[in-house]
Amino acid sequence: MDPHVTAPTQAALVARSVTKAFGGTLALDGVGLIVRAGTIHALLGGNGSGKSTLIKCLAGVYRADGGEVSIAGRTLELADMSPPRARGAGLRFVHQDLGLFDELTVAENFALDSGFPIARGGRIRWAALHEHVTGVLADYDIDVRARDLVGSLRPSQKTMIAVARALADQVATEHVLMLDEPTATLPERESRELMRALRRRADRGQTIVLVSHRLGEVEQVADAVTVFRDGRVAAEHTGPGLRAAEISAMIAGGAFAGLSGGPRPSRPGEPVLVLDRLCAGGVREVSLTVRRGEIVGLAGLAGAGKSTLLRAVFGSRPVTGGTMRLAGRPHAPRSPRDAIAIGIGLVPEDRHAEGILADLTVRENASVPVLSRYWRRRLFMDRRGERLDTAALVTRHAVRTDGIETAVGKLSGGNQQKLVLAARTRRRPALLLLDEPTQGVDVMSRAEIYATLRDLTASGCGILAASTDLDELLVLCDRILLLSGGVVAGEFDPAVHSREEIVSAVLDDTDPTRD
Amino acid sequence: MPSSSSPTSSPPASAPAGAATAHRSPAEVLHHLERLALPVLLVIVVVFFSLFPPTRDLFLTTDNISVVLANQSVVLLVAGALLFPLICGHFDFSVGATAVFANIVCAAAMSDFGWAAWQACGLALGAGALVGLANGVVVARFRMNSFVSTLGMATALNGIIQWYTGGLAIIGIDRRMTTFGSTTWLGLPLVVFVVLVVLLLAWYVLTHTPYGRSLYALGSNARSAVLVGLPQRGYTRTAFMLSGAVAAVAGTVLTARTGGANPDSGTSLLFPALTAAFLGTTGFQPGRFNVPGTIVGVLFVAASVSGLTLSGADTWVTAGGISPSTPAVDRDLGA
Repeated sequence: MDPHVTAPTQAALVARSVTKAFGGTLALDGVGLIVRAGTIHALLGGNGSGKSTLIKCLAGVYRADGGEVSIAGRTLELADMSPPRARGAGLRFVHQDLGLFDELTVAENFALDSGFPIARGGRIRWAALHEHVTGVLADYDIDVRARDLVGSLRPSQKTMIAVARALADQVATEHVLMLDEPTATLPERESRELMRALRRRADRGQTIVLVSHRLGEVEQVADAVTVFRDGRVAAEHTGPGLRAAEISAMIAGGAFAGLSGGPRPSRPGEPVLVLDRLCAGGVREVSLTVRRGEIVGLAGLAGAGKSTLLRAVFGSRPVTGGTMRLAGRPHAPRSPRDAIAIGIGLVPEDRHAEGILADLTVRENASVPVLSRYWRRRLFMDRRGERLDTAALVTRHAVRTDGIETAVGKLSGGNQQKLVLAARTRRRPALLLLDEPTQGVDVMSRAEIYATLRDLTASGCGILAASTDLDELLVLCDRILLLSGGVVAGEFDPAVHSREEIVSAVLDDTDPTRD
Repeated sequence: MPSSSSPTSSPPASAPAGAATAHRSPAEVLHHLERLALPVLLVIVVVFFSLFPPTRDLFLTTDNISVVLANQSVVLLVAGALLFPLICGHFDFSVGATAVFANIVCAAAMSDFGWAAWQACGLALGAGALVGLANGVVVARFRMNSFVSTLGMATALNGIIQWYTGGLAIIGIDRRMTTFGSTTWLGLPLVVFVVLVVLLLAWYVLTHTPYGRSLYALGSNARSAVLVGLPQRGYTRTAFMLSGAVAAVAGTVLTARTGGANPDSGTSLLFPALTAAFLGTTGFQPGRFNVPGTIVGVLFVAASVSGLTLSGADTWVTAGGISPSTPAVDRDLGA
């Protein structure tokens, strides 16, 4: 199809002995990486294992202490790398934050990157711009128009727009595309669609390096895998046929037997939350029960009403009909404050917008939900007690940080999430609401989060967890409820139903137009 | 949290909190330097003008220190008033006008209505708190942008001030008030100690009460703060009320110092105070509005301006020249 496609065995990118130290810690210790042209190469590893550092060294965001990279035969010293040089060498990056402007059209988003075509007198040649962008969109099989607002697109389409924009200036497929966790925030169907689109690009000769925490998609799409651990390459695998279970064993380094939710409670206790035909926003007549000591999963596509349901129980979305009972008593919170006071905790989906206080310290984040505890004799804050409690909390939840006075914005995503969970459960809630509890979190942090949740249920807490990641629900939950179009469309028992049954229920039930 | 033994309690790779104190990395040393950069700059300015030939004999005299501190006492209070809304994420551009408004209320109560000094001061404080409450309700309840609404409040207060005074100064206040304003103790004007007490209280509220800590949380991420159960509306309203009340204290101090009230716009108080508050974020707790930083910020500006004035600079040399340098100082130190 494309005459410029390079032979698939040729290396598009070779990095050798990349070393980078932060303070006294070696973040990268002589790492090597070979990416063959026209393949999808997945970089895996826990938070802080070095994969992001490697990407940033290649991008020139960090100056490596040593090492070199060859791209299409050209060799560059990584110690002198800078973003313009990385770009000049043909490396293109699409970050998790795609850098798109929702309020502008697709064409304008392209033009802000590559420049507007200008006529004499400084006027923008809109017709030429739209024609050009329409061509690019067709080339990438993106089914949107150049005049569409980016905000109106689906998440997978947005990511592909960002990909197409990053690669817009290549003549054939000579650039190397690096994607940092493109599917972290995408629901199942969207991430499948994105993976199919990337696969099509790779089949046409595009070289793609993919950082991901979702092993299922890596299993589906990657041609080669490099696993990082503690700043070194822990394992490499080329060729198809790698199973997710093997990959997670490679990531954890043998010390880890795969994700599991631990022993399930033999008998859940009395109901802690009972919803009877609850209506709120897009949620229509949902009835469900969560018992003490059990974890109930909420599955469903984005927009099925999972978040709305949790918000209604937490008092931050108005309820329009039906009743709620919490531990036997009628429950009608007017605000999150009410809900917290009677024993509900919420870990929100978007930890940057609603979870962490990024510029405050670990200690302050941990204490915010329980400040009055340290208000001794209504006279002074017990700083010492606060420090001791925070240190204990951080250790117990395995939050990796340089100390409790570090700004939380500097922690990795998994550690931020562990801290949010730790802080929001300090009041020992009777009911814990989780919205995407491990979004963008690596497999080991996930295991730690699941262990914490199991501990909570053991002490009698009921948990209602919404997630677009079915594998997570399967591992974690005692029951899974499928939410579809604002109603409970089915109930599954992970011990009885297979993954395929549930997946097909999620996809087919609501989406007859699926390809 | 469950205290039962957790399988995650002792991961090998986990860096225990607080263990990093064994040796100090260069970054940490830099961080400590940054915390102290502003006070060190103040010391450098003071030392410079104490040795600089044209100002050597004047700068570090009791008279000059006394005059500078007394003049800055009102600005210090206005800056302290600004901190409460700034910390919870809102501007309050009406603090200058509120101070002048309280100044007018205080002076008018004594001069036009014959109230005693303490009654007039109480009335002024109440008026300032009411203005703050109005600001707070508009921002917290009606979700108006504080940038716009407090500018509007400043304009409205100016209108009231001009309407009531007709542009004329108010004189003839309670004698005890002027006496208080000119009394010195330990060689310093008494009002300086009033300012110190008020700022000490502000520091205490902001750092040693759950309320103050909650304000920082609200300012960092209001949505997160609401989801952990902080009452955003009530706390924001209170922050504006405190702001109005502290600005009113500035107004009464102004009454005592000037022996009356001038129908001024208040911007001459607002801008130096804003400068000091932002300059203060470079020191002590870098990146945050804080009371000690703000005090040093005011003194830094005051010492610089005083030194330059004494060395013969024109009167247009003001705080304005210093405010643009704030971000530069912060950036150069690797914030």
